[in-house]
Amino acid sequence: MALRSPVGWALLGLVIQRPSYGYELLQRFERTFGDALELSSPSQVYNALDALSKRELIEEVDLRELEVVRQPKPHYRATAAGVRSYREWLTAQVHEERRRARLFARQLVVLDAEEALAVIDRYEQACLAEAAAAPLLTSEEHQIEGVGGLAGRLLHEEDRLAIGAKLSFVEYARRELTAIVGPQGGKP
Amino acid sequence: MSLLQLEHVSRTLRSGRREHPLLCDICLSMDAGELVAIWGKRGSGRSTLLRIAAGIEPHDAGTVRFDGRELPCGAALGDGIGWCGHGARGADGIRVSEEIAGALLARGLPKPVAQARAAAALERAEVAHAATLQCGELDTAETVRVSIARALSTQPRLLVVDDPTAGVDLLERDGILILLRSLADEGIGVLSSAGESTALSGADRALSLSEGRLRGSLSPELADVVPLRRRAVM
Repeated sequence: MALRSPVGWALLGLVIQRPSYGYELLQRFERTFGDALELSSPSQVYNALDALSKRELIEEVDLRELEVVRQPKPHYRATAAGVRSYREWLTAQVHEERRRARLFARQLVVLDAEEALAVIDRYEQACLAEAAAAPLLTSEEHQIEGVGGLAGRLLHEEDRLAIGAKLSFVEYARRELTAIVGPQGGKP
Repeated sequence: MSLLQLEHVSRTLRSGRREHPLLCDICLSMDAGELVAIWGKRGSGRSTLLRIAAGIEPHDAGTVRFDGRELPCGAALGDGIGWCGHGARGADGIRVSEEIAGALLARGLPKPVAQARAAAALERAEVAHAATLQCGELDTAETVRVSIARALSTQPRLLVVDDPTAGVDLLERDGILILLRSLADEGIGVLSSAGESTALSGADRALSLSEGRLRGSLSPELADVVPLRRRAVM
C-alpha cells in the first residue's frame, strides 16, 4: 500500500540525507520540518519508520558496516526503491498544486461573475501583500551553508515566484470575467 | 501632505488613427519614507506611469503633485526627484565618478563639492569600487547601483526607479531591493516598478497595474499596518 503520511515522506527524505537512528531523526525532523509538519507525539516518528521499513523504502543498517559500536540502536538507510519513490513523490507534488488550482477555479466560477470579480480583487490584494512582505535575503544569508540554509533559500524563492504566477492568473481571470460582466460592471 | 500625489491621471498613446488608453484615471499618493512598488507586465504602462510620476513624461489628464506643487506635464526632472530608468545608464568612455560629478557641475555645483557628492553617492549605493571604471565595464547589478548613485547625488526626496532588478543576476537581486528599502528607511520616498513579483519584496505597499488600472492600497492610509521590523528569513 502506498505511503500516505507526510511525516513518513519527510522522514524518508531525512534518512536519504543521512542514515541514522530514531531519536536523531526525531531531532532533525523538528529542526527541518518543525514549522511545517506537526508531530502528534514522538512515537509518530517511530511508527513512521516502521511503516517505511515494512514497505522496504528504508532498511536497517548493519552497525558493523557503519563502525558504530557504542549505540546499539537500529540505524536506517534508504533503499534504492526508497530513493526512487521519494523522487517520484516530490515530483507528484506538482499534480497536488494542480488539483488545488482546479478546485479554486471551479469554486470561483460557481459564483456570479460580478461576485467572482470581487473575489479576484481580494485575492489579488492578498497576493500583493504577501509579495511585499516576503523577506529579502542578505548576502550573508545567501552564504549560509548546509541543507537547512539551501532549503530555506529554495523555499523562499519558490514562494516569491508562485506569487507572480498568481498575479498573472488574476490578470487573466479578470479579463475573462470582465468580458462577461462588461467593463463598467453592468451586464452586457 | 503627501510627498507624491497623482490624481485622476490618464495617458493615451496615439499612433495615426489608432488610440490606445495606457493609463486610466490613476490615483496614487505616497509619503516620504515609503517604498511603493508597482507590478505590471510588459506593455502595462508601468514605465510610463513612473516617468509621469517623475515629471519627465506628459500626461493627458489629471494632476501630479510633488510636495504639494503641481508638476508641469513633461517638464525637466524637478528638484528633489531622482530618476533611475533604463535610459539613464550613463555615457561610455568616461569614468563613473567623473560622469556623476560632471552632471552635478552642470547644475552649478563647485568641483570639490560635486566630486565629494559623487563619491558619497557611490558609497551609499555600495558601488564605490566602480568609481574608476567606465560605464561599459559594469555588470548589470553595478549599472543599476550606479544609476541609483547618480540619482542620489542630487539628494532627492523622491527616488523613482524603473524595474531595478530587470536582467540582474538572481543572487544580486535582493541586494538592490535591500538598498532601496534602506533608502526609504532613511526617509526618501521610493517608487519602483517591477516586471517580476520577486521585485515587490520589501515594499511597504505593492500595487498592480493592468489594462490601465492601478490596484492595491493606493494611499498610505489604506495600507495594511506596516511591520516595524521586517520578518527574518528561516
